[in-house]
Amino acid sequence: MAVAVDIVEIGQVAASLDAFGQRYAERVFTAGEIAYAFRAPANAAARLAARFAAKEAVIKLLRPGEIGVDPRSIEVVVEADGAPGIQLTGAAARLARERKISRISVSLSHDGGYAIAAVSAEPDTVGWRSSRLCRRRHTPWTRTQR
Amino acid sequence: MDTNTEIRNILKQHAKLTADVDTLGDDADLYQAGMTSHASVNLMLALEDTFNVEFPERMLRRRLFESITSIRSAVDELKAGGS
Repeated sequence: MAVAVDIVEIGQVAASLDAFGQRYAERVFTAGEIAYAFRAPANAAARLAARFAAKEAVIKLLRPGEIGVDPRSIEVVVEADGAPGIQLTGAAARLARERKISRISVSLSHDGGYAIAAVSAEPDTVGWRSSRLCRRRHTPWTRTQR
Repeated sequence: MDTNTEIRNILKQHAKLTADVDTLGDDADLYQAGMTSHASVNLMLALEDTFNVEFPERMLRRRLFESITSIRSAVDELKAGGS
């Protein structure tokens, strides 16, 4: 199992929202992430900071090297039970398949002006390329962690 | 104003470096100089505004924003119409 963490200063996200507005938000976060964050406007910067930390932590797991990854291809989703999960699309999903990562769990927190995300990746013990069943079972790359 | 000077001005405004930009060489590692991943997003948006370009996904990688030289190379490519 691989793990990664990242930390983001909430004030920096608030400053980016002030400086670049919606363009910053829409360039980095998915529509779902933005909608969730601004459901509680007072906590929007903290929620976005935690999501940015999660994206960066997932990048550390994926080790993209010279491959470009749009931050929106790593999405923090909210599961039915309220726990956060990770959903990958595009280049991020392709990298996960290449790294034989079958599931990514995430935990988010924020306090004292900082937001942090921890993620863990579990290896695909069956093998992505050898198992259609595995591919179906793990699409769309969403798992949760309380 | 030449491109490298414009990049340096953007770095002063957006990169949140712990080092003085004026003391850094064009090949100095900006992450080693204190730039965070989040600050690199601000840097990218400011570069897009200044040079009227848009960074495509293939350019959204850490090493592209690693130095003034690598940023200059990307900006030149985008201004020349590369995508």
